[in-house]
Amino acid sequence: MGRYVVRRLLQMIPVFIGATLLIFLMVNVMGDPIAGLCGERRCDPATAAQLEKEFGLDKPVWQQYLTYMGNVFTGDFGTAFNGQEVTELMSTAFPVTIRLTLIAILFEIVIGITLGVVTGLRRGRPVDTGVLLFTLVVISVPTFVTGLLLQLLLGVKWGWIRPSVSSEAPFDELILPGLVLASVSLAYVTRLTRTSIAENRRSDYVRTAIAKGLPRHRVVVRHLLRNSLIPVVTFIGADIGFLMGGAIVTERIFNIHGVGYQLYQGILRQNTQTVVGFVTVLVLVFLVANLVVDLLYAVLDPRIRYA
Amino acid sequence: MPDGRHEEEQAIAGTGMGGTMDLGVDEAETLEKRPEGPDGSGPQDKPRSLWSDAWRDLRRNPVFILSGLVILFLVFISLWPSAITSGSPLKCDLSKAQEGSQSGHPFGFDGQGCDVYTRTVYGARTSVAVGVLATLGVAVLGSVLGALAGFFGGISDSVLSRITDVFFAIPVVLGGLVLLSVITSNTIWPVIGFIVLLGWPQISRIARGAVITAKQNDYVQAARALGASNSRLVLRHIAPNAVAPVIVVATIALGTYIALEATLSYLGVGLKPPSVSWGIDISAASPYVRNAPHALLWPSGALAITVLAFIMLGDAVRDALDPKLR
Amino acid sequence: MLLEVRDLHVEFRTRDGIARAVNGVSYGVDAGETLAVLGESGSGKSVTAQAVMGILDIPPGRITGGEVIFQGRDLLKLKEEERRRVRGAEMAMIFQDALSSLNPVISVGDQLAEMFTVHRGMSRKDARAKAVELMDRVRIPAARERVRQYPHQFSGGMRQRIMIAMALALEPALIIADEPTTALDVTVQAQVMELLAELQRELRMGLILITHDLGVVADVADRIAVMYAGRIVESAPVHDIYKAPAHPYTRGLLDSIPRLDQKGQELYAIKGLPPSLTHIPPGCAFHPRCPLARDVCRTDEPPLYEVSATRGSACHFWRECLNG
Repeated sequence: MGRYVVRRLLQMIPVFIGATLLIFLMVNVMGDPIAGLCGERRCDPATAAQLEKEFGLDKPVWQQYLTYMGNVFTGDFGTAFNGQEVTELMSTAFPVTIRLTLIAILFEIVIGITLGVVTGLRRGRPVDTGVLLFTLVVISVPTFVTGLLLQLLLGVKWGWIRPSVSSEAPFDELILPGLVLASVSLAYVTRLTRTSIAENRRSDYVRTAIAKGLPRHRVVVRHLLRNSLIPVVTFIGADIGFLMGGAIVTERIFNIHGVGYQLYQGILRQNTQTVVGFVTVLVLVFLVANLVVDLLYAVLDPRIRYA
Repeated sequence: MPDGRHEEEQAIAGTGMGGTMDLGVDEAETLEKRPEGPDGSGPQDKPRSLWSDAWRDLRRNPVFILSGLVILFLVFISLWPSAITSGSPLKCDLSKAQEGSQSGHPFGFDGQGCDVYTRTVYGARTSVAVGVLATLGVAVLGSVLGALAGFFGGISDSVLSRITDVFFAIPVVLGGLVLLSVITSNTIWPVIGFIVLLGWPQISRIARGAVITAKQNDYVQAARALGASNSRLVLRHIAPNAVAPVIVVATIALGTYIALEATLSYLGVGLKPPSVSWGIDISAASPYVRNAPHALLWPSGALAITVLAFIMLGDAVRDALDPKLR
Repeated sequence: MLLEVRDLHVEFRTRDGIARAVNGVSYGVDAGETLAVLGESGSGKSVTAQAVMGILDIPPGRITGGEVIFQGRDLLKLKEEERRRVRGAEMAMIFQDALSSLNPVISVGDQLAEMFTVHRGMSRKDARAKAVELMDRVRIPAARERVRQYPHQFSGGMRQRIMIAMALALEPALIIADEPTTALDVTVQAQVMELLAELQRELRMGLILITHDLGVVADVADRIAVMYAGRIVESAPVHDIYKAPAHPYTRGLLDSIPRLDQKGQELYAIKGLPPSLTHIPPGCAFHPRCPLARDVCRTDEPPLYEVSATRGSACHFWRECLNG
């Protein structure tokens, strides 16, 4: 087990370097990093040269990357367009997005798994067909369309919620955005749980459990669910990374000032420091989430633990 | 974004624990598939191939027929939009801005006074073109790289796996924002290029898996032992087995690529006006949705139906090609 | 009689129509007796056993007629909750593939202990002690340590011993073993079969042994019931059948066993394939494959003729068959 963790940690390093380098190159090579520093006007050549020197942009890209990563590991993410420290932006943005992600995950667990279990146990019945069709629709309609429509209906037409979230973004205002953010994953969780339950329901060990004379709820909960939820739990774990990165659209629709909002602003204003900094953290979150999932898998399934 | 998840769902669903033996039906089912003559012991049926079997199933599947018809219609209006519209999507009359449905203009007008019906029809062309071209690019690049890695194994395989991991670690929408925000071109090519760049690892994983499975088949081992060349092995024996899963995933991915293009256009980094795209129209309509919801609803509906049709088609094809799920 | 199955009928709905898996099966087992049920796959032997245990998948399965009298009551008339209390406690089942039949993510100790906590209301600690005791009893070495392990950590033979231990846990009156040794290596087969037979004698249980292996049958069975297309075609004490079968299908089965004294000769095989259960031939279901078939076999379904007081054969020409 210990060796397994070390091996996975070592495997993460090239992925981390690759992903951050890729983003670094995209931003620095494709864009113009100093364009954002002179405000709306174009920089005059003398200022540009001076700025390039100041930020070390006259050096080769790989050297810039190394300097940047070196700074990151000492906690220095640079300065954003308005003179704010990027770390300061992070400290206000991340709590908001984390709250949003938590709500989304909660929706996935409660609604997704419940629907999946119900349909998996009633495969082929009307309720199954209905839910299955519904999940297909949810998967197909892009998140920004779902979000805009729900905002139009619940926020504008019926006035149940505030159409845009205040800057403090308390939990109760994030419920609808959380549902929108979760929607596609929720549909996947439902389908995955359903497939898994339906497959395991016909397995030999469930037949054994019935033949042992166990009560139905014990057969379902202890024998069927325990096995069927292993892939679901790992999916949800891996989803944390996806959700935090995918919050850009949701945060834009509901005007939430979280990670997605800061990234969007940073990209529009071509602010290298903000973009690369936030992406670096997101990639790290994604990798750690995946590592945790792998370990969780081993905890849940003894066949992997003792392999 | 939905990218990459279908594969995951499938992959995970495929690792079912325990046997798949049916409770009590095992005997009845094995017999069900047994060929039978009039007296129960007659001559055997001709063996059916995977494809003809799948086709027989698909023809009877209403989901397949419905989504197929929708897709045919979409392709038709992408090629000949003038067959069902007379106007131009770029001819707008500001004096009619935000007006509702009226004769000759069933969907009403948007904020610029453009005819929503015409723009919705012309938007199909963009979506279908981006979806089809990006899928072709992803499928070709992904299959070739995945097949090579799966076939040769070793270092090339490890390198490719790491590269795939890197691409999976970058959130798709985020990558799109970063890459496309600096591009000023007004064609569909940057968007297609971006989708291919971030999309190929999904296909390459599947192609790699299929090739590795096929490689272990006895008949492939036999062909190898008989001295078949590598290219012959891949083309004659391995490729046919890898094609089915790639087609299924690519069909579903096509739908998600259309959604991705619309999402990027909505965020302002995909296609830009004067291009006609549902994403652009939805984005433009959202600030004044209170006054003119129709300008948001029609392109949203068209987008949703298009994506749904491709995903349902892919779903139906997968069910037909995967006998385990029947 | 401990168990008596009377005129049992089971159907399955399939894509190609109704599959009649069991068509009027009757058999009985006494305490301490071993009944071997013999037949090819698809003969209905497993489905009958599942109907007796009450673990048929309904739907697509459906019991359309008959009685299952166990210790004086008809199990088919019991409510599901009463039925559940019988399962595992008074009758238990051993399955063919122990690896897939044991839950992969629960330790074998917990799977054994579950029998005691659920049926007997024991505490977890006592149940765990019982589980160790059971593993000792089926001669699994180092039971105290291995009780915490998971099924995949055991060898095939050891796993099947755990299945046996689980079935014996509450000392049921009847055990149904569905091909208990088919998935095992030949050397291990004999050990497991021996263990099962020994424990059966010790506890005076009735045993229904479902198999297609005639070699196993000869050693342990008292009676044999041969099934074909969902019916019993011959039922007799084991010695009678080996001496002279009274049904051409039984004869075919016996003749297709490889024997040392016939080394070098071509092995006999029954021609043709078993019928589809959705299209069972009219008359005697075996007639398309039968060497003795005549016109009457194509039209009239043979009843189970009484050959002797303890023996029956569903062949119009059982006399001819008996005399070779």
